[in-house]
Amino acid sequence: MSRYLEKSVLELHELLKKKEISPKDLVEEAFTRIEENKEYNAYITLNKEKALEEAKELEHIPFEEDNLLFGLPIAVKDNIITKDLRTTCASHILDNFMPIYDATVVEKLKASHMIIIGKTNMDEFAMGSSSRTSYFGAPKNAWNKEKITGGSSGGSAATVSLRDVPFALGSDTGGSIRQPASYTGIVGMKPTYGRVSRYGLVAFASSLDQIGPMTKNVYENALLLNAIVGRDDKDLTSSHKEQEDFTRLIGASIEGMKVAVPNYFMSDIVNEEIKEKIKESLEILKSAGVTIDFVDIPYLENAVTLYQIIAMGEASSNLARFDGVRYGHAKENPESIDNLYYGTREEGFGEEVKRRIMVGSYLLSGENAKEYYNKALSIRDDMRKALLDTLKEYDFILGPTTTTTAYNLTDPMDDPSKSFMDDVLVIPVNMAGLPGLNIPVGFDKEKMPIGLHIIGAPFEEAKMYSLASYLEEKLNLNLNPKGEE
Amino acid sequence: MTNYIKTIGIEVHVELKTKTKIFSPAKNGYGSGANTLTNVVDLGYPGTLPTLNEEVVNQAIKAAIVLNCKIRKEMHFDRKNYFYPDNPKNYQITQSRTPIGYDGYVEIEVEGEKKKIEIEEMHIEEDTCKSAHRKDVTLLDFNRAGVPLIEIVTKPCISSGEEAKLYIEKLREILFYADISDCKIEEGSMRCDANISLRKNESDPLGTKVEIKNIGSISNVKLSLEKESIRQEKLLENNETFPAQTRRFDDKLNDTVLMRIKETGNDYRYFPEPDIPYLYITDEMIENVKNTIPLTADERRKEYMTRGISKINSDKILLNRSLSDYLNQFLKTDIDFVIVSNLLLGDISFYLNKHFLKLEETKLTKEKMIKLVEKLSDKTLTNKNVKDMIEYLLETDKTVEDIIKEKNIVNITDDSYLENIISEVLENNKESINDYLSGHDRALKYLMGQVMKLSKGSANPTLASQMLKEKLENLTID
Repeated sequence: MSRYLEKSVLELHELLKKKEISPKDLVEEAFTRIEENKEYNAYITLNKEKALEEAKELEHIPFEEDNLLFGLPIAVKDNIITKDLRTTCASHILDNFMPIYDATVVEKLKASHMIIIGKTNMDEFAMGSSSRTSYFGAPKNAWNKEKITGGSSGGSAATVSLRDVPFALGSDTGGSIRQPASYTGIVGMKPTYGRVSRYGLVAFASSLDQIGPMTKNVYENALLLNAIVGRDDKDLTSSHKEQEDFTRLIGASIEGMKVAVPNYFMSDIVNEEIKEKIKESLEILKSAGVTIDFVDIPYLENAVTLYQIIAMGEASSNLARFDGVRYGHAKENPESIDNLYYGTREEGFGEEVKRRIMVGSYLLSGENAKEYYNKALSIRDDMRKALLDTLKEYDFILGPTTTTTAYNLTDPMDDPSKSFMDDVLVIPVNMAGLPGLNIPVGFDKEKMPIGLHIIGAPFEEAKMYSLASYLEEKLNLNLNPKGEE
Repeated sequence: MTNYIKTIGIEVHVELKTKTKIFSPAKNGYGSGANTLTNVVDLGYPGTLPTLNEEVVNQAIKAAIVLNCKIRKEMHFDRKNYFYPDNPKNYQITQSRTPIGYDGYVEIEVEGEKKKIEIEEMHIEEDTCKSAHRKDVTLLDFNRAGVPLIEIVTKPCISSGEEAKLYIEKLREILFYADISDCKIEEGSMRCDANISLRKNESDPLGTKVEIKNIGSISNVKLSLEKESIRQEKLLENNETFPAQTRRFDDKLNDTVLMRIKETGNDYRYFPEPDIPYLYITDEMIENVKNTIPLTADERRKEYMTRGISKINSDKILLNRSLSDYLNQFLKTDIDFVIVSNLLLGDISFYLNKHFLKLEETKLTKEKMIKLVEKLSDKTLTNKNVKDMIEYLLETDKTVEDIIKEKNIVNITDDSYLENIISEVLENNKESINDYLSGHDRALKYLMGQVMKLSKGSANPTLASQMLKEKLENLTID
């Protein structure tokens, strides 16, 4: 059987158009690859039968020449609701959960005639940064099976980097798209808060959550973003911004652009090898006529603390609905309603989720709400203002996406705050509702990918893709872990 | 026994009249099959998000206006977190920090004195499911989940069960006539909780607060508060202390019973609802809502009394919205309101109640009523005639004249015909004539009765009585 899925989306589109291949061929190939890569544990549920059925149906409708996504396979993170396709959030509490509706993004994928291949592995309820809190076991890094993929969108990152599928959707509450994208050498975008409807994304921290595209290159990332954005009346926090083509600035000149690099992002907290690679990228930009300034932005060092308070507070409330009454796992033969609640949640949730619910509940209790949550909200406003002020003077804020490259799956998990520190560089973006993009810019000595983090002003995703694609082209890295590209 | 000062505060939940629910597009209705008016949002399904029904905001603005509240221009919703099976998300979306209305009042009249019952705040929130307990299971009906509510909280400024009752009656009348809610306590679209504490002197700190939950009728508001204050007085007289607690009124025991002792610091972990952006109320929105407010109950009452209807009858009419709306059609005419109101409260209401009809379901047009009143005013028709005609007036399209003709309803004003009847009566009742002429006025009544009997009730009584008297004056004792 010929292999097509390493090819670019443009090439695939041409082949489909010429009827040299059919959507069914691509779907079958995706499942073959997933089977070959089974040990990477990227998926929780596969959508084999229905995906093949949908692919066959596409042969009976006219090919859409203007729709570059037509008939292409995509993986969806398992905290995004899919009708009649099990959605578990990688949790025992939902491991029998069969949704009766589609998330708005899923409706949009279907409207674009994309084919959902399966639901990807993740940290339980997106709580974690190594995907090791999954009830279904951790996914593995395509570059080194001993390493984590990062998280929480670890399965989506793994399956794209493995070239099982060209596209995946992730969600990002505190770096959950960008950090695993960085660890696995792919492109991951967390769009501006409100860009993509959250309707059907199982809420972790409502004021931070955002769905975004994960792809092997910049152009395809912009293509997928085109398909999932837009105002959704079912999500009051979704923005009224008009539809735009996010690929439109790709290839445009970046000369004269101004970039701020916060000193904190290049401080001792970041691994030397990573800093070196980031500096190399900055040099490339400089020679393209981009101004680079090192700046101090206040509050960045407080971001993790603020994030913990806000995210855990909101999570403790968002996850209250999993009680065994209406759906999901329920304790058998409960003696009372309280017994049903305690039993269901004790059996259903994993340790990290329980810990965050408890901390979050504590933070919102009585006077603590004033002491912690409300104070965090107000400092968050200050932090947002500081970032926005910087972005008034500069086109972008740049830095590394992560402080280290992917570490070993066997590294201890006993320090809960360590996992948050993994995300210290990406969290400020969620706190301020800004768009953030990871692109691979090199490898460390162990051949593990290193990512650059591009932060843009609200709704400036197209400009971010422009800068990212310039670097991508200049660097011209081989990002296929199996070296086939 | 000491005279204790009662301090009472009242919380009322009112279901708003809207087409759809507050945070979902499901229909807002009562009486449908269980779980037929729900969707994934109402079920607290994972991934769902609330939308905000604009109609709810407008209804709440309207409530704030008619309750004389100040309206907050910038507001948000909050989550109230607690686990309960009737609470689908295990948090309720409500307004804790920024209630839409505040500092309002409702004016009541206590023994002729006007008193303002101050409203601390009123806020918007969602209703919970309805639970039905059967043996060892609890059934949940999500039709009610997400029905829009406003909660109206008074200051602790009510000092008796009677005042509490008057407040609830007035509140109900105001909200009902503003089309905000149908305010049916028995269907749960209006629910009432009361807080009461007792103390000896104004200078004493407030006593221990007892909450009486889910009071099922207006009369029980008064009764339960009175019973509860007697209970507390007895305890206080014996120097007994008691903890803050929640009680309910038991109809059969005719007293309040303990539900639970209040736990200190009930912790709802309120925080701003992140799924709903801040809401900004403009003056224009308020103005637009103002223009939709129908004639209030007080305005109606004032009109009716100006037109001569007694206070009691005005109140009676206002208890039945369809009578009041019907009557209002005539506000711009010069029809005799007293006659119309008497007809509405008398024969018409009697017929409607007997046949389980609503006035708007009948064929009593405005034109028919005008004609009817005209004929009653000029005494062409008697009240008895109307009684005989009522079925045809309400149930057929026939005109008043046609009914009179067809049913052979003759209110005899024809002098010669009447004269014949009177002569016949006098002929047959010589004794009564003698009685009358001897000064026994009773005899006149008897004779009139005979005239009416002989005319089968169709004689115009005023005319007949006048003619009878004239005839008698011309007679002498036999």
